[in-house]
Amino acid sequence: MEFSVRKNERSSGKKHFSAAVIGSGPAGLTAAIYLGRSKVDTVVFEKVIPGGYVVNVEKIENYPGFPEGISGEELGKLYARHAERFGAEIRAEEVTKLTLNEVPFRIETSHGSYTSDSLILATGTSNKKLGVPGEEEFTHKGISFCATCDAPFFEGEDVVVVGAGNSGVQESLYISRFAKHITIIEFLDHSTAEPILIDRLNENEKIELLTSHSVVSFKGEKFLSNVDIKDIKSGEVENLKVKGVFIYAGEVPNNDLVKDTIKLDEKGFIVTDDRLRTSVEGIFAAGDVRNTPLRQVATAIGDGAIAGHEVYKFLEESK
Amino acid sequence: MGLISEEDKKYLREEFEKTLRRKVEILYFGEQKKGSQYSVQTKELLEEVVALNDKLSLTLKNCDDADEMKSEGLNLCPSIKVKSERSGFVNFYGIPAGHEFASLVEAINDMGSDNLLLPDDVVEGLREINKPLDIKVFITHGCPYCAGAVRNAHQFSLVNEKIKGSMVDANYFGELSMKHQVSSVPHIVINDKIGFVGNVPPKIFLDKIKEALK
Repeated sequence: MEFSVRKNERSSGKKHFSAAVIGSGPAGLTAAIYLGRSKVDTVVFEKVIPGGYVVNVEKIENYPGFPEGISGEELGKLYARHAERFGAEIRAEEVTKLTLNEVPFRIETSHGSYTSDSLILATGTSNKKLGVPGEEEFTHKGISFCATCDAPFFEGEDVVVVGAGNSGVQESLYISRFAKHITIIEFLDHSTAEPILIDRLNENEKIELLTSHSVVSFKGEKFLSNVDIKDIKSGEVENLKVKGVFIYAGEVPNNDLVKDTIKLDEKGFIVTDDRLRTSVEGIFAAGDVRNTPLRQVATAIGDGAIAGHEVYKFLEESK
Repeated sequence: MGLISEEDKKYLREEFEKTLRRKVEILYFGEQKKGSQYSVQTKELLEEVVALNDKLSLTLKNCDDADEMKSEGLNLCPSIKVKSERSGFVNFYGIPAGHEFASLVEAINDMGSDNLLLPDDVVEGLREINKPLDIKVFITHGCPYCAGAVRNAHQFSLVNEKIKGSMVDANYFGELSMKHQVSSVPHIVINDKIGFVGNVPPKIFLDKIKEALK
């Protein structure tokens, strides 16, 4: 049994900051560390807990410096303490609106209003929904997007995981501690997970991988009880009896706050230049939410460092 | 080695030193007679926590003492109630392990200080509540979203003494979870009537409460 000690929230009561970071994943908190060391008064807004999506990951094995791996929860905690040590204020508030046509920028949150001379958008991504019949109806009634949260409810049950990328395979391995049998449904004709994860999947007797298959619909009464899946090659539809479904079928950028004000690419990711500047002066983007070729903790850290440094330079030049 | 790492202990000592302005009592109703591993571990955890600051104390009670449980407004065992001179029903049914340990630390800090992190309009809305309100937040220890919902429920109880805020370990209290059809967390149940899922902002949480009180 583990005990997570996260940063205790303590508000300074300040309403204006030189830099505001939205999102406290690896990118946001790294930016806050760099800004703090540059003596820039910085606030970080986080709607869940410091660490961002990474806290959902049971073990991160490809982040340098931790040869045995490190839990996302532990890493998130360390990032938050590190940022706090250099003066960043982390606030557990959900940003609900940004007004970007005037400087300082206005930030509305679930708890109040703030202004900031610069912004770093590090809002990350969310799991993509499938958009098939029954998905909305049975979300939280058998369909989950968080294995670390909900896998224990499916002890001894048959479960489907949608998506055989890194997340889908990694989470299937976690769910296999609880579930009796897991069927992974993958649209492509192969898994895109790292070969080391595929080896583990192949060694796990509880997990079966069905490639070239898609989910047609979710069915049930009050709770999910069946999933219709289709063999893409033959067109044949099969019905699986399951109690739970976990969806890891890609990601969508968390761009709601800026989708009408900042340039996005065709998939909705924030467009930046190599200094992580967005289409609006004074606003930078870092981590998974921007148009980057790889979304990993290691790349987010690099983004955070660049964004923090660039914001410092921007503020200095604006003086 | 204890349940809390030395590094975390150091951090918590500093946090409690900075935050605590009054004494805080942790009242633990456990199944001492049965000596279950769950209860033993909960007790060990609490002993380690209270050793971190001299403003903290632990009172051990037995769940068999139904009258005392009732007088504290508790009806599930094991239970951890965090008390101080500050008004509030800040409670945990089951062990606050994993991400929920942060909720316990926050609960101690809140009861030991005047922390209130709610928006003014939510505070106003909560003060208007004049009927008993029982908020249960079902959690699992691996859920990173749950601690936020537990914190909201606890903070609500600091505003209005008619409000009870409790964390419920969904796996330990399996039957109760089934009764409330919990299959995703955080699952919040208000007055055993209205249920919803998710760590929603305080204002939406308040709207759900108003709905339940209709």
